[in-house]
Formats: sequence, C-alpha cells, structure tokens
Amino acid sequence: MHDSVNHVIFGLDPTWVAVSILLVVYAVIMAEKFNRAVLSLLGAGMMILCGVLTQQQAVAGIDFNTIGLLTGMMVIVAISQKTGMFQYVAIKSAKIVKGDPWGILVMLSVVTAVFSAFLDNVTTVLLIAPVTLLITDALDIKPYPFLFAQILSSNIGGTATLIGDPPNIMIGSAANLSFYQFLVNLAPITPLIMLVTMVAIWFMFGKGLHATDEAKALVMQFNEDDAIEDVPLMKKSLLVLFLVISGFTVAHSFHLEPASIAMFGAALLLLLQTWGQPLHDKDHAYEGIMAEVEWTTIFFFVGLFIVVTGVEHTGVIEMLAHKTLELTGGDFNATAGAILWVSAIASALIDNIPFVATMIPLIESMAPTFGSADALVPLWWALALGACLGGNGSLIGASANLIVAGFAQRAGHPIMFLQFMKHAFLLMLMSIAIAHTYLYLRYLS
Amino acid sequence: MKANLVMTKELVVCHPDQTVLEVLKVLRERSFHVLPVVDENNKLLGAVNMLSMLSKLVPEYILNGYLKSIPYAPDMGVLRKHYKEIIDHKVVDIMEKNPTVVGENESLLSVTAALISFDRFEYAFVVDKDHALIGIVAASDIVRALSQLDPEVLFDA
Repeated sequence: MHDSVNHVIFGLDPTWVAVSILLVVYAVIMAEKFNRAVLSLLGAGMMILCGVLTQQQAVAGIDFNTIGLLTGMMVIVAISQKTGMFQYVAIKSAKIVKGDPWGILVMLSVVTAVFSAFLDNVTTVLLIAPVTLLITDALDIKPYPFLFAQILSSNIGGTATLIGDPPNIMIGSAANLSFYQFLVNLAPITPLIMLVTMVAIWFMFGKGLHATDEAKALVMQFNEDDAIEDVPLMKKSLLVLFLVISGFTVAHSFHLEPASIAMFGAALLLLLQTWGQPLHDKDHAYEGIMAEVEWTTIFFFVGLFIVVTGVEHTGVIEMLAHKTLELTGGDFNATAGAILWVSAIASALIDNIPFVATMIPLIESMAPTFGSADALVPLWWALALGACLGGNGSLIGASANLIVAGFAQRAGHPIMFLQFMKHAFLLMLMSIAIAHTYLYLRYLS
Repeated sequence: MKANLVMTKELVVCHPDQTVLEVLKVLRERSFHVLPVVDENNKLLGAVNMLSMLSKLVPEYILNGYLKSIPYAPDMGVLRKHYKEIIDHKVVDIMEKNPTVVGENESLLSVTAALISFDRFEYAFVVDKDHALIGIVAASDIVRALSQLDPEVLFDA
C-alpha cells in the first residue's frame, strides 16, 4: 500500500505526518478536554488536507458495516426504550428477590449483563442505573456496590455477542466473523467470569448490605405493571428485536452483513411505530427518534476509521505487526496471550475504540506469518476479550463506566477514580486470567 | 407598543441570601407566582417560583436520565426529606438563573416572542441597560393590552 501515498505538503515524510496526526488526536482524546468526535473528524480532515489520503481513499476506509450496525441498533433501542419494558424487567427482578439487597444487586447485575449483550452498554446503564438509584433510595442504602457491580456486568455482558460492545462490532466486521461465531466462541465463557466476579463482590460488599423490613416493603410497593407505557409499541418493538436478533444469527448463511439487518429492522420499527397516525405526527416522531441517535459516536467512528486508514496507508502498522511478531518469536500462543493482556491493560487506561481500530489492521497484517486469515480467528477472540473486559479496569475504561459514575455523582454518592480502580482492577485481571485459560484450552494448546 | 407601557412597576423582590422558607412565605401569603431575585443595586440575578423549589426536591437521576416518568414508583419519602433540607438553603441555590429578560423599549411583539421561546415562568423581566430590574410583563398584561385595542397605542407611531 506504500505506493498509494499521495503528495504530502511541504515535502514532509507522509509516514511521520500520518503517525503524528494519529498520536496527537489520541493524546487530545485522552486529555478529555474536547469532544472526541470533533477531534477524530479534525484528524481525518488533516489526513486528507496534508495529502496522506485522497478523499476517495478516506471514504473507502470507513467501515460502513460498523456505522450501519451502530446506527440501526441505536434507532431500535431509542424506540423500544420508550415503552418502559426495560424498567419493567429491572423492577420485576428486584421484586422477585423480595427486596433483599444482595438479591437485588445480583438480579440487577444479571439483567444488566443480559441487556448489555444485546443492546449497547451505554444504553443499558442509562436504562438500569436510574432504576437502581430509585431502588437504593427506597432501601435507604448506599448505591455504590450496586453501581459497581453494574459497571462490571455491563462490560462482561457486552463481551458475549457481536453487538454487545463496539470493539466486537468492529472486529466482527473487519474479520468477517458472524454473530453466530461470536455467540459460540465468546458467550460460553462470560457466565463463568460473571459468577466469579459476583462471588468477589460478595466478599467485598455482600455482608455490609442490610435493609430494614419497612425498606424492603417499600421496594415491594413498586408496581412494575405501571412501567409499561405503551403496550402496542412494546409488541412491535419485541417483534422487531426478535426478528433482528434471529436475523443476526442466520445472516452469514444468506451472505448478509449485520448492518443490513440492523438498518432494515430500524426502518421497519420506524414504520410500525407510527402506523395509522396522520402524516404530520409520523414526521414528528421520526425526527424525534433521529435526534436520539448518538450522532457524536457515529461521527467519532467515521473520523477514527479515516485516521487509522491514513496510518495504515503509510505501512507503519504493518511494521508494528512485524515488531510484535519478532517479540513473540512468531509463536502463535505467545502472540495471542500478548494481544489479550496488552488489549486489557490498554483498554483499562484509554478508550478501547481507537485502540481496537488500530489493532485490527495490525492483526490483519499477521496473516502471512500464521498461514491465512482463517488462522487468525483465535487472535480476534483474544482482542475482543481483552478490549471488552479490559474496560472494567478503571472508571475511564469504558463509556458506560463514566455514565454510571455521572449518575452516582448526581445522586450525591460520587464514585472516586482510585476507589473504583482499587476494587475493579484486580477483578479485571482475574477475568483476563480466566479468559486466557479459556483461550488456551479451546484454541491454543 | 413597548414593554414599559404594559409592565408592572411596583415590584416585590427578594435577595439572594434570604432563605427558601422566607421566600416561600411571601409567594404563598401574597399569592405571587414569581419573585425576582435582585442584588443591593437592584440588578436582576434570577427568579424563583414554586416550580424552581420543587425541581430541587426530585432526585437529579430521575430528571436527567431515561426516567422521564416513573408511574411505577412509590413516594419513598424522598420529597419530604429533600423539602426539609432545602427550606434552610439560600434562594440563590434554587433560583432560575436565566429568566426571560427584555429591554424597556422592546416591542410587544418581541416580548411575546421571547416569552414563548424562552420562558419558564409566564413572565418577562424588564431591565434597563445596567441590567437593573424596572418591571415585569406577565402574559396576562399582553393579553389585556391587546383587548383594549387602541390602534394608536398598539402600533408604534
């Protein structure tokens, strides 16, 4: 790809220009002083203005499968969350355990993990964290253990499926791995990680969770049936969610990409949502839903794909891949282990989305060393497990963590960076150790 | 017609260091809907009404999350608990900091548009060029002026 480098302005070395743009963009993103979408788009613009990429090359570098899948799922969730069905499940789960605090903690964590596997993690915690705070207010109990468990559960649950976490969407799209393959290869290990994590949380907080009988009775007064605000819309949403997830599972056999299914599902639900209403109301509803799509995230991805493509064109990433292979001696097991642990530590400290965006071309260029693209599959699982679970290592490890921290702050119980890390980092390392054992036994030995 | 022709000029105001309880008493006893908050130089700092107090009683995670409505939740004593806390606070903690502000020479059309676009109180506060409060225009003042329909006053001569 080196030959495709264009005329870089001022006769500067395109490699250094591209790498500098990437490093500056990543550094400023980490400083969290500016909006990350704005930064990634500025970086993308610089790649083109400086002549590293032509506009055509930049556009070709955008993974529209990732963009389409994210946007489609955002539309579906924006509509279905209006029905109140997610709150219904959260409250029902708290009442099943008769208002017992530890029981509620476990139930809400499991609900969070399952929702996170099928919805975006950020959306999941936006739905569950406020309900959790309502319940802990009713129990008159500190929310920290509940929110802590929820953060970990959302990242563990998100690991399980192709659509659970943005890194998985990117990996699945780049490596052409299906929803079904993710389900069969990653989902089996997540219940074990979840179980071990919950046991550890029991030892940390379990004994300290007490609530009076009056407080428990107050939780039982929550009426989950009142949470459902729109029964017809709920039926439509459940139908579309069912169709979309079934579609994902069988997509590969029909040579369909997940983005086509998600976008089709989104369009179908947009149509059904306002079926039979006057045109003016329909337009109003469409515009409302479109405004709820997180365009900031979408544009962040667009810019990021272009920035990484720019660096990829210079051949630096290929060179890094060769260096990595030299370090691991070209040994497959060592390479897989290195990807897993480096991804985990990196994702705990920096945004895992730009990290994964950079790792994807790096792993792709290892294909000649290990024979073929198919031989790389265990490496993709290592990257997915590391990047998703690594998000649990610190409060800034994943967007969902910060969302929960924001709620905790507003409820008057802020989650401190170091306090969280003290509890979470070890649990994260433990989950990676379990993942490593799993990878070793299943793919490497 | 301009804002200074329809506005109320005799104003009851409150000061930022008064307690919420004191201000609530004034609002209730004199049946006011809103009180402007001004400093010692009569400069407008904000405004309070019953809603600005009530909005501090509802936990923020309910107002700022996906929980826009919570028909399934019991009362939980949250409102009373927060009410007891808030009444000793100073007005400055609960006031609306950006009420609708208009100039004394603004047209009635402009005042009406401002009320509809920005208002949370049904009132626009009329200030001079030093931001000192000189009057209040209520939605009802505008309607009253319109119903009197005196063409010479209505259309700026």
